[in-house]
Amino acid sequence: MSEELKSQAAAPQAAAKPAAPRAAVAKPAAPAKPAVNELKPTVVEPAALRAELVRLHDKEGMDFLLNLTGEDWMEEGLGVVYQLENTTNGKQACVKSVCPDRENPMLPSACDLWDIAHTYEREVYDFYGIIFTNHPDMRRLFMREDWVGYPFRKDDATEENNPLRMTNEPLSDFTTEYSLHEDGTVEKVQHRVWDKDDYVVNIGPQHPSTHGVLHFRVALEGERIRKIDPHLGYIHRGVEKISEQMTYPQTLALTDRLDYLGAMQNRHALCMCIEQAMGVEVSDRVQVIRTIMDELQRIDSHILFFSCLCQDLGATTAFLYGFRDREKILDIFEETCGGRLILNYNTIGGVMADIHPNFVKRVKEFIPYMRKNIQEYHDIFTGNVIFQNRSKGVGVLTKEQVISFGCTGGTGRASGWHNDLRKLRPYAAYDRVQFNEVVRTEGDSFARYMIRLDEILESLNIIEQLIDNIPEGNFQEKMKPIIKLPVGTFYSEVEGSRGRFGVLIESKGDKSPYRLHYRSTGLPLVAVMDTVCRGNMLADLITIGGTVDYVVPDVDR
Amino acid sequence: MFDFSIITTWLHDFLMGTCGFAEWGAILTESVLVALAIITLYAVFAIALIYMERKVCAFFQCRLGPMRVGKWGLLQVFSDVFKMLTKEIISMRQSDLFLHNLAPFLVVTASMVTFSCLPWNKGAHIIDFNVGVFFFLAISSIGVVGILLAGWSSNNKYSLIGAMRSGAQIISYELSIGMTMLAMICLTGSMSFSEICQDQYVNGWNIVRGHVPAVIAFLIYLVAGNAECNRGPFDLPECESELTAGYHTEYSGMHFGYYYLAEYLNLFICAGMASTIFLGGWAPLHIYGLDGFNGVMDMIPGALWFLGKTFFVVFLLMWLRWTFPRLRIDQILSLEWKYLVPFSMVNLVLMALCVAMGWHF
Amino acid sequence: MEEKSYLGGIADGLKSLTTGLKTTMREFFTPKITEQYPENRATNVMFDRFRGSLTMPHNEQNEHQCVGCGLCQMACPNDTIKVTSEFYETADGKKKKRLVKYEYDLGSCMFCQLCTRACPHGAITFDQSYENAVFDRSKLKKVLNHEGSKCVKE
Repeated sequence: MSEELKSQAAAPQAAAKPAAPRAAVAKPAAPAKPAVNELKPTVVEPAALRAELVRLHDKEGMDFLLNLTGEDWMEEGLGVVYQLENTTNGKQACVKSVCPDRENPMLPSACDLWDIAHTYEREVYDFYGIIFTNHPDMRRLFMREDWVGYPFRKDDATEENNPLRMTNEPLSDFTTEYSLHEDGTVEKVQHRVWDKDDYVVNIGPQHPSTHGVLHFRVALEGERIRKIDPHLGYIHRGVEKISEQMTYPQTLALTDRLDYLGAMQNRHALCMCIEQAMGVEVSDRVQVIRTIMDELQRIDSHILFFSCLCQDLGATTAFLYGFRDREKILDIFEETCGGRLILNYNTIGGVMADIHPNFVKRVKEFIPYMRKNIQEYHDIFTGNVIFQNRSKGVGVLTKEQVISFGCTGGTGRASGWHNDLRKLRPYAAYDRVQFNEVVRTEGDSFARYMIRLDEILESLNIIEQLIDNIPEGNFQEKMKPIIKLPVGTFYSEVEGSRGRFGVLIESKGDKSPYRLHYRSTGLPLVAVMDTVCRGNMLADLITIGGTVDYVVPDVDR
Repeated sequence: MFDFSIITTWLHDFLMGTCGFAEWGAILTESVLVALAIITLYAVFAIALIYMERKVCAFFQCRLGPMRVGKWGLLQVFSDVFKMLTKEIISMRQSDLFLHNLAPFLVVTASMVTFSCLPWNKGAHIIDFNVGVFFFLAISSIGVVGILLAGWSSNNKYSLIGAMRSGAQIISYELSIGMTMLAMICLTGSMSFSEICQDQYVNGWNIVRGHVPAVIAFLIYLVAGNAECNRGPFDLPECESELTAGYHTEYSGMHFGYYYLAEYLNLFICAGMASTIFLGGWAPLHIYGLDGFNGVMDMIPGALWFLGKTFFVVFLLMWLRWTFPRLRIDQILSLEWKYLVPFSMVNLVLMALCVAMGWHF
Repeated sequence: MEEKSYLGGIADGLKSLTTGLKTTMREFFTPKITEQYPENRATNVMFDRFRGSLTMPHNEQNEHQCVGCGLCQMACPNDTIKVTSEFYETADGKKKKRLVKYEYDLGSCMFCQLCTRACPHGAITFDQSYENAVFDRSKLKKVLNHEGSKCVKE
């Protein structure tokens, strides 16, 4: 909403209630106790950052780069926040580094420590213009290559610099590396993406099996894949940037549009982050409802995963069986939430509306129905010798690789990484239910596929345990009309349909976030595609892409 | 059993005698009539098959299929064909225009000529001579030239990969088709389709007469024939999820329509051959010893028998297509070279043994 | 993956294929799930919480609940709502505000329900209409208060 309109709208209201007690609320509300999800990053000088990251990686065993957020602190400068985790003992670390030089900000790259840093640093470069030295591929990640300026900087004249361009988007065959020498000088080095005689095939941006507008440039040797260069950003909407102009309740409306198969969980994460930062406790009823909804959403997502994989592999009939069953979940959602894909259900302090009177009945009908139909999936597709041969041993990821790439969710668990947040750090009502974390060790496409089908059964178990015991209580806590967060950095995460979905909010005490960053579940999954596909066949790209299960709006945000 | 040659002989005599045509004139007129009949039948069967495919596929998938145009969507295919006829044929820059335009005609010609090899009824064959099976195999492989040309001339990477896959696949599977046919020729002792059918009319259907080796040959033929038609689960030349539309990515309008027609007619031809060689073609169902029953069966015209059997095989092929996921190129080749070829070779030996020792019915 | 013997592999493969064939054949005869949409218009009832488009319910006297406060307009993240209001003098000389025009653009609405939640009087709600397609974008711009309507509280 433009400033002009806002003042217009505010004017009659102020006139109507001249002595409105709004001013009292306007002060940043001090939480009763320190927020449980506040991040307290260690501030490290850019010069010492590299040594500190190496120490954390080597000495402290921080082998998982959970999240990397670029930020603009105006006069202080531009910087990044690293969130690291030790996957063995669960310890976490948070490091912040600020570059005071706004003209030519430079930080050392960490892409040799964590593979995923390669992609995350490109994102930060794209949004904030921070150059990571010794990063071999300093291209933009989401924006066009001829984009002017860095859109997430607070002083960027985005609209003036970037009129609607009527030219085709350039796509460079070169990458730039800013290599840092011993004496502190920086040299610009160019690398070729493709060799002269590479046979490069475009898979996407409009392609039946990229599950959205995603563009892979694939170098082939006969049918074998030599290299993949993913090109992202076709559905980049700048959700994080838009959120900076919105009030907290308004930001909620955008989360359903990130990973549309994790709408419940995404919004759950954002609501949880805001609630914990404000120190609001939601009722037990809400916790249980949110848990059930998250699990229904997970089943929905996994059924769609099954369907789309079948479709990609040419088993069109199995595809429609999946959709037939997904319809039942969507009906359940629609009856309670009023939407099928864009659910709009969680709110700050509760849920939009109490569950529908039919909800329990429908869910109880659905559980045995789905258990029966899972068997049908196994009959028609899982056991099929063609599928088995196409997926077993195809696209193997080791445990080290998935951790280094930060591939959480089913993809990580298929390679033996116990990363289920519902078990590691139970939230909502997950501490009161019994369920198994489905983990396999093969790390191939078949394992990734089986993980999802088994998780459907586990989710059904969770729902079955909760559905009869939904406690009484408010479905919505009383909230102040204007929601403000205390000053600080807050981070909450949930186990989304395809991995750990996190929300990082930096608040200056206003009614809108200073910086809102989503830890996308899909970005690591796309980043790993090059590694996992190399040496496999073109047809395997489809199998692997289907089984790692990324959703493009979540990748691009 | 009604012999269709009565009609053809009568027509010939009519043209020669009553109309006073010379021999060449009569044959020319007959050829034109036959060609018209083939083209009409070709179009009619394509439409029937497309409708059947859409309905059968829908029923496997818990759907209803086309329901909107006409009662039960009966006119859907007609409107689709009409739509395709009205579409512009787009020619690509930097593609080899001559080859690009030639390719669909090669494909459709090959399938039309093979279509005319089918024996419709006793005495109703269009192309029938003593090495008919050879002719059938030879002509049907012209189609692959069209596909390769389409892939090459489109100047598109998807098309090229699709065409190459198609080439590898069709040439491989022709081997097992030939081998299974050889096994059946072994049993009937003739390469002419009319004699194969006549033999089955007298001695019983091949699949019964040749028992085990014939059933194995039938199954191998179904798989290989399916692959030959580029249909799922062997549809990877045009496999949608990798290559968008494979070799016909760049075709539009009726040029695409030709590929579409040829695909369905190849399915019909493949099923028609299966019914000719294994299921007796136009030969009615006879049960040894039940003369009354056999008499009743003889009342049903041969063409109906042929079509009934053919559509049954078509249904089997559709059932396969709509159940299985697509194979990968290396799986396709290993299925052929590691499984089907050795099996059909062993099967051929087995059949030869059966025939030599008189172990058949 | 354990290596199977050549023939064992074939047997297993064939078994898995027949299982698949059996499944599809069973489904061939099950009732179909297609809903024939324009034909079932009369019976197709949406769920009561379905969010079709924003409406302002009016009673028989052509009265609505809206007082023109503009809270919904403030809450909207997309500038979908434009409330025009004016002041008038009541019989006892007080100045009060009333709604003149309530404009709503369905084309930019994202159905987030912030407006309905913000409204203190329950004046606006989402209805169950789902056939919202039009040929011209300007037709998506609607005025929600009826001609000559007024607030119940006036």
